[in-house]
Amino acid sequence: MTKHKILVVDDDADLVRALRLRLRANDFDIATAGDGYAAIAAAQKEHPDLIILDLGLPAGDGFVVLERLQNNDTLSAVPVIVLSARDPQANEARALKAGAAAYFQKPADNDELLNVIQTSLMETVVKLPS
Amino acid sequence: MNDPTTRVLLIEDNPGDVDLVRLRLVESLPNLEVDCVQRLSDALASLERETPTLVLLDLNLPDSRGAETFRRVREKAPQVPVVVLSGQADEALALKAVHQGVQDYLIKGDFSGKRLEQAMRYAIERQSLARSLDMSRKQQLEFKNQFLSHVSHELRTPLTCIHQYVTLLLDGLAGPLAPEQGDHLKTVLKSVNQLHAMIRDLLEATRAESGKLRVEPRCISLAKLVEQAYAMMKPTAHAKQVGLELGLDQRIPLVYADPDRILEVLINLMDNAIKFTPADGAVTIKACMQQTDPNVVYVSVCDTGRGIGPEAKSLIFERLYQDPDSVDNNRSGLGLGLFICRELIRLHQGTITVASEVGQGSTFTFTVPVYSLAKLLLPVVTYRGALRQAFVLVEVELKPVSRRPMGNWKEICETCLETLRRCVYLDKDLVLPPMGSSGTSETFFVVASTDMQRSGIMTTRIREQLQRVANLEGAASLTITTCPVDLSPISPQSSVEQQVEQVADCVSGMVLQRLGSEPGEQARQKPKQQRNNEVPRRRK
Repeated sequence: MTKHKILVVDDDADLVRALRLRLRANDFDIATAGDGYAAIAAAQKEHPDLIILDLGLPAGDGFVVLERLQNNDTLSAVPVIVLSARDPQANEARALKAGAAAYFQKPADNDELLNVIQTSLMETVVKLPS
Repeated sequence: MNDPTTRVLLIEDNPGDVDLVRLRLVESLPNLEVDCVQRLSDALASLERETPTLVLLDLNLPDSRGAETFRRVREKAPQVPVVVLSGQADEALALKAVHQGVQDYLIKGDFSGKRLEQAMRYAIERQSLARSLDMSRKQQLEFKNQFLSHVSHELRTPLTCIHQYVTLLLDGLAGPLAPEQGDHLKTVLKSVNQLHAMIRDLLEATRAESGKLRVEPRCISLAKLVEQAYAMMKPTAHAKQVGLELGLDQRIPLVYADPDRILEVLINLMDNAIKFTPADGAVTIKACMQQTDPNVVYVSVCDTGRGIGPEAKSLIFERLYQDPDSVDNNRSGLGLGLFICRELIRLHQGTITVASEVGQGSTFTFTVPVYSLAKLLLPVVTYRGALRQAFVLVEVELKPVSRRPMGNWKEICETCLETLRRCVYLDKDLVLPPMGSSGTSETFFVVASTDMQRSGIMTTRIREQLQRVANLEGAASLTITTCPVDLSPISPQSSVEQQVEQVADCVSGMVLQRLGSEPGEQARQKPKQQRNNEVPRRRK
């Protein structure tokens, strides 16, 4: 079976490096992007199976990215997991409504995050319209 | 004061006094506009219409006397300076007036025009000063809260990085570690987790202070929640060699509460109890009903620690309170935990108290409101003052087809609930408030005033309507089961209220049984062991 590819979008390069190491160790291929604009470009070029998305991003924040992914026929099926330092009380519902599959507040538990990644990838069901 | 638009509202019923005041005002302030009313009601109406620069107020009016007069005027127009003109030299009343924000208290016939003009000028100045102080205080509070919430967010970013790299090293993803190195890193992780918990408490306390803390109560099984907290804290207690015991009343009714928030309170109290209990001690968590108040369930966390002195007891729920005798007070946290607990319980209309004696351990007890099915059922299960003939309980279960977490699952469930409400007769059927399973599947219950034979029409309608709900097809599987409500224990002699109570008891028994009879579901919801004192976070 080919490896699943995860696109990690975060402007904190150190965090991206750590996530890359961890996800690689769990047998994923990794692509990265450091801002909203690069995120869309990478999503179109790399064909990721899943996207981990920060909300506070330069050049188009996470919500803009979510919206653009949702409006793209091929990319709207890719599950997006939001990983943000922002307060879930103010942002979680909004992110889920915008099409995210799950919301984690930083710092997130690695096992929980990996669990949700696994379950999101296991499903081949076409994403439901929200 | 020489501004021609300066307008004074004179509230005075004695024509002689009105003339006197007018005369004095005109003498020193020819440009002043004076409106005069004789009754408090007229004064309030005038204040409603327009805002004068100042109010001159006699206290004894035909429709109001004494302190009541200035209280009502202040209440109506808190921003307008008020100077009382009183016929009596009553120092106590004058003080009371000043306490309520009146700017000055003059005795009639005791002042010249010059003195009155001065008093009015100072009153206006003082009032505007008080106002700007009040505004800047509010602004500061708002600024402080915004700052705290910004800080707690910003602190998370570097903390996340530390957390990631420490766990990378600990999990051996950057090469093998010597045992000692691993131990050191575990200590780092423990501190990271403590810091994380503090940041979270800081944000919660800020929210509580600015009234932004929210709870979303549902109808939930408290017993299940207590069991969940027990399972979550077992490892922590075990690590400290503190016994953890569970005492659940046989039949705890369903409660109306926010499961995440009550769990948070439970974890906080248990964590404290374990922290302050020496090895070989015990912490007991109990939930029970008491005869004093059948409308609440009492939940208590009892420890065999060193107890709390009377002075500390009265302060322990206050924000930033720290136990001065804490043994390990270098790690005692921010002193926000119990404050947050109290605010959360308050939002549930409950109370939280502590009973303790030094050396005898402590017991923290809080109440959770019982979910009263009888109150909701009364209008639908009775007709013209008598209990209807037969009832069934319809259970509608939605299970997501895919195991993948669906962002819109909550929305699907809400739409289904709305649809379900439209499928029933509002005067004789009741869709129960959503039950607390915060996991993946969702179960709704309907109490319908019908018998098994006729309930088929209704369940068919429910099935058709729910399947039509957009997204449901392919997203969720639907199971509908119907059960008769056994009315045989209901005595025809008892009052209709008692009969409704009995029906409600019977229905909640059935619901509890249904919710409890899903071992698979429960196992899935049981949180896995937390890593090293990791603060349990809300499950998504």
